[in-house]
Amino acid sequence: MTEERQNAGEGGKSGQLKIFFGYAAGVGKTYAMLQAALTAEERGMDVVIGSIAPYRSLEDTALAERLRAMERLEEFDLDRAIRRKPDLIIMDDLACENPKGSRHSRRYQDIRELLKAGISVYTTVSAQNIESLNDIVTAITRVPVKDRIPDSVFDHADQVELVDLEPRELLERLRNGALAEKEGEHPPGTAYFTVANLTALREVALRRCADRINMLTRGDGAAHGDEHVLVCLSASPSNAKIVRTAARMANAFRGAFTALFVKTPDLAYMDEEDRKRLQSHMRLAEQLGARIEILYSDDIPFQIAEFARISGVSKIVIGRSAATRDHIFSKPALTEKLISNAPDLDVYIIPDADPGSSFYRKRHFGTRRHLVFSAGDILKSIGILLAASCIGFFFYNLGVNEANIITIYVLGVLVTALVTKNQIYSLISSAVSVLVFNFLFTEPRYTLQAYAPGYPLTFSVMFLSAFITGSLVMRLKSHAKQSAEVAFRTRILFDTNRLLQQARGQEEITSVSAGQLVKLLKKDIVVYPAENGVLGEPQIFQAGETEPDAGCISAREREVAVWTLKNNKHAGATTDTFSDAGCLYLAIRVGENVYGVLGIVMEGGELDAMENSILLSVLGEWAFALENEKSTREKEEAAVLAKNEQLRANLLRAISHDLRTPLTSISGNASNLLAMGQDFDEETRKQLYTDIYENSMWLINLVENLLSITRLVEGRLNLNITEDLVDDVVAEALRHVNKKSAEHTIVTESGEEFLLARMDPRLIVQVIINIVNNAIEYTPAGSHITIRSEKKDGTIILSIADDGPGIPDQEKPRVFDMFYSGGNPIADSRRNCGIGLSLCRSIIDAHGGELTVSDNAPHGAVFTFTLPAGEVQLHE
Amino acid sequence: MNKPLILVVEDDRSVNNLITTILKTHDYRYLTALNGAEAVLEASSHNPDIVLLDLGLPDTDGVDIIKKIRTWSNMPIIVISARNEDKDKIEALDAGADDYVTKPFSVEELLARLRATTRRLSASGQTQAEDAVFENGELRIEYAAGCAWLGDKELHLTPIEYKLLCLLARNVGKVLTHTYIMQQIWGSSGASDIASLRVFMATLRKKIDSSVDGPQYIQTHIGVGYRMMKVE
Repeated sequence: MTEERQNAGEGGKSGQLKIFFGYAAGVGKTYAMLQAALTAEERGMDVVIGSIAPYRSLEDTALAERLRAMERLEEFDLDRAIRRKPDLIIMDDLACENPKGSRHSRRYQDIRELLKAGISVYTTVSAQNIESLNDIVTAITRVPVKDRIPDSVFDHADQVELVDLEPRELLERLRNGALAEKEGEHPPGTAYFTVANLTALREVALRRCADRINMLTRGDGAAHGDEHVLVCLSASPSNAKIVRTAARMANAFRGAFTALFVKTPDLAYMDEEDRKRLQSHMRLAEQLGARIEILYSDDIPFQIAEFARISGVSKIVIGRSAATRDHIFSKPALTEKLISNAPDLDVYIIPDADPGSSFYRKRHFGTRRHLVFSAGDILKSIGILLAASCIGFFFYNLGVNEANIITIYVLGVLVTALVTKNQIYSLISSAVSVLVFNFLFTEPRYTLQAYAPGYPLTFSVMFLSAFITGSLVMRLKSHAKQSAEVAFRTRILFDTNRLLQQARGQEEITSVSAGQLVKLLKKDIVVYPAENGVLGEPQIFQAGETEPDAGCISAREREVAVWTLKNNKHAGATTDTFSDAGCLYLAIRVGENVYGVLGIVMEGGELDAMENSILLSVLGEWAFALENEKSTREKEEAAVLAKNEQLRANLLRAISHDLRTPLTSISGNASNLLAMGQDFDEETRKQLYTDIYENSMWLINLVENLLSITRLVEGRLNLNITEDLVDDVVAEALRHVNKKSAEHTIVTESGEEFLLARMDPRLIVQVIINIVNNAIEYTPAGSHITIRSEKKDGTIILSIADDGPGIPDQEKPRVFDMFYSGGNPIADSRRNCGIGLSLCRSIIDAHGGELTVSDNAPHGAVFTFTLPAGEVQLHE
Repeated sequence: MNKPLILVVEDDRSVNNLITTILKTHDYRYLTALNGAEAVLEASSHNPDIVLLDLGLPDTDGVDIIKKIRTWSNMPIIVISARNEDKDKIEALDAGADDYVTKPFSVEELLARLRATTRRLSASGQTQAEDAVFENGELRIEYAAGCAWLGDKELHLTPIEYKLLCLLARNVGKVLTHTYIMQQIWGSSGASDIASLRVFMATLRKKIDSSVDGPQYIQTHIGVGYRMMKVE
């Protein structure tokens, strides 16, 4: 259902689908389509024939001549067609089934993909091929039709052109042999082609077209209105027809449509064939737009009525076979109970097409066929019976009444029911108990005869009470099992939710969700993450001990995953698309955003409906978690970006100031020297030269800092981290510090030899230069600066201490602020480019270290920073 | 020996001026080239002793010029780079340059580089005949005996340290990049090897640069590599 909506939602980009619709073969659908195609070509459209059946009646016409000139895609190949990308493709017969090995099993799926690729499609379809009309048409023609398309394809087509022809005229044409046996649809000469039949078909087709128009004028396909149609699903072969009827009804009433399946404990005995049929009915209902609900109970009518009451169902559709269902104890029929449970509801009973083969009766025989006697259970039953007899003997010898011995046997049967797997054991045990009791304890003893006239009654009561107790226990057991199963699955959902709330980061979310799915499905799964429409490397989560087959991540499987990603639809095993793949692929998505593709290795059967629905919920939560994660990440990135932007703006402001001042000095002094260098005395000239030199040195330092900033702003990944010797880096830094350093005493102390730290050496050199320059700037000449390095718990600690006046406590927190410079913010006389220390902090932060300032004893300031220590393995 | 002939390749006229002024005042002979084509022409026709090469030329990439010159000559090339990125320097060094200075450079720095290169030139002229022994200030390596001396003391070196010392000695005056050294010593280069190279280099230096006032033989070029200085 969602798939169709997506298609419809894509609007402008996707191609237009035009369906030429006729009530029967031979009305001229193909002819009309071809004519329309030729007209389109005349209008300058790029038209290509994708697929068309040989159509003899066309051969002599002028149309054929022009058609031959048209480009034809031999052996239609979807990918090639999309690559060729014409404006319009002609695809005859929408309902056609694709040859085995194609990507999609049905042609309408191909067409959907073409439309999605922006290619318009002209196609034809007959009334009989429309899913919801199938029963009606079959009832008229008595020819079963295999190829059917979902109604949604028809209803969501952009245009439907009804190709109509008077039935008499059609018959005339048929008689003249104008119609070739196209695609072997109907062998000519069947009862199909009678005026009455054709008129009936024509009416069906016309009405369907009218319905479609009705729907279009009333808005989109979403259900509104008060009606809510409920159809009950079963494994009965006739159920498909009931589902279709209900769908038509929901459609006609424009109501909501729900398909309900009540799972009963005895369903466990359902055979493979029935299970498959039930699955296919569910899929059919889903295709027809129903919401699938599964409930657990053994009181079917009560459950249906309850559900109907809660969900506001107004109409219930059930089949007659279900209506006349009989239990062993001749309970009232399902319908009767349903009506008594829910007297306000309209109940529609659809007659079974073939009443002779009541499905339920068949199923009872089926149960027995599938009964397997296990040696263990038989031995257990016999053992319990023997034990009961022994105890019976014991009591008998004590002179205890026979009636009490009977209770021992009943108890035995109860225990049997508890420990064995099938009801048949308690049934047989009940019967054998009666016989054994008769043999051992009734007069005459050790014969199977009984003298007392009351015995037959005793025996029957004994048998019945034993059997009923056994059955009850059995039922209790299966209930317990079923509710444990439900609880397990609910628990998985609940856990997933909880775990996902705690999970941080894409990888954790993926591993949590995948882990939960493996637990639920007990199948290996493959996860392909996707980013920007590109599939990443697959990750396998295995369910069992054995490694999954490498085939599940082969190139072929990947292709299916890519298709799923592109088309945002299920594909692979158990679906109609790439059904030969080993895995079932589902997109992990929220709306149109696909965050990944999930592959489930489908060895050992399909998923049941319950698993499927939980799978979808987990998938939904998974996608939401990924989306949340992504939006958080994006928000963070935006914040960083904004911060960088702010940083840049501040920087520019500060720089333009810091650049102008020294440049003014340089250019002014130089021009003075040029103009009147000779007039200055030696002393003045020297002063001017010194100023020029110092200002330019200062500019050089500023440029170095700016370069470091650019590298930092470009991001952490740009750091060129290597393992360097701290001593080397300090030595390099000291080579570049302010020339005024000559007036200061700089000492380096290294606690340990060969301290290696992980760092970008250029940036750390810059940090040391800035801090040392800062110390030189703010301490009087003759002060001491000590650089000390040591290693502690895997980090390198480097401290730069001076014995100057120190930094007052209230200013300490601000020294690392950008554009702060000791007390007098941006003053020309003491400019010390405020970016220096703040840059140092950013650099140290980027290295994962910490830069702090503290007091030196007795006076002065100590700047301390940490870096991760490097490890070295010497290669001798 | 005469003051060497220096080819200055630099397109920026003011920097060109600065360099030639420095050279003139220190009695170096020099030629200038303003672009790559001129540089190659001058280098081939005048066979200068040292080339000062700016990497950012208008017509050719400086690295290409180094490669071209290296096809016929081993003349020392000192690269002048405005680029602060280490990888440019490393690329130039690996292409065959001997040394580098980064803009902005001081007059002393440039002169120091020139002096060091000149020393190496004259030294190689003398010692070419006796390759069996390497002498550099107090440092002496006897290749045949496989031992090294500092003054009259024999150095106790591990095999790796000895190999490193020999490698540096054979390329005295030249900056050797980390990659080059690692390939020569270990035959490979990986991130973990860089750290161990640094440690070996530090221990080696400790052994030969032990005296505080004595000359420094091994220079560390952060982010680039190492060089053995030619001392008087």
